[in-house]
Amino acid sequence: MIVVLLLLHGLLAVALLGAITHQALSVLPLAATNGRRTFIDRFRGVNAPAYATPIVVLFVVTAIGGALLYPQYRIDVRPALEDMRNAAANGVFEIKEHLIAIGLGLLPAYWQVWRQPSGAEAASARRALTWLLAFFVWWGFIVGHVLNNIRGLLP
Amino acid sequence: MTHPGLKIFSMLFGVFYIVAFYFDLALFRYYPEARQFHWMRTDGIGVVILWYGWIVTAALASAAVAVAVPRPVAERLSSRWVWMVTALVVLVTLIYERRWFV
Repeated sequence: MIVVLLLLHGLLAVALLGAITHQALSVLPLAATNGRRTFIDRFRGVNAPAYATPIVVLFVVTAIGGALLYPQYRIDVRPALEDMRNAAANGVFEIKEHLIAIGLGLLPAYWQVWRQPSGAEAASARRALTWLLAFFVWWGFIVGHVLNNIRGLLP
Repeated sequence: MTHPGLKIFSMLFGVFYIVAFYFDLALFRYYPEARQFHWMRTDGIGVVILWYGWIVTAALASAAVAVAVPRPVAERLSSRWVWMVTALVVLVTLIYERRWFV
């Protein structure tokens, strides 16, 4: 059961990572182009407001999955890391739990700025809040995968 | 469709969360080995998870302030404050958590 939940959590995280990365790149200021659309142009050329609600839903559902997996981590993984004297691994996970919690709190304002009409202030708030959430998601994703595979990664 | 209090909630959530974390103000504690929730610290039943309690503490505190702040005041608050306060909270968190890497 825990393996199924872990896989589901990972798959949801992939979807969230993709969505937030599309949206984060879409709010970057446009650079002048010579008319040719690059891969990056096409990657960021999405309907960014349409991503806001799915990102909120994915963030919440993925965080709930992580919260359900957390007891297993606390009982099995963290003591193993302590036995390995790997304080840094526990540290990056602790930062992950803080960032995901802070991200959950940020979601109402994030959702609101993406629903209000676009203006100069809304644009800068959208950009900043989206990049903050993207940082949280990327941190959580990378740390989750490294810790999940840490016994194979470390000598 | 949206309420200006949402900005207040999001701006304060990170602050209350980090205060709850630093001062150990979890509303409740979960003991995964015993599979029990407790309001207070309970020794002898294994490791404890405070994270759920910190989140609920922060959510209740920031929701209470968001509801208490008058709507005109909340409407005047720039969205800029939300991300600036949150970015500061993240920075403080990262500085504090350096303790794991030294």
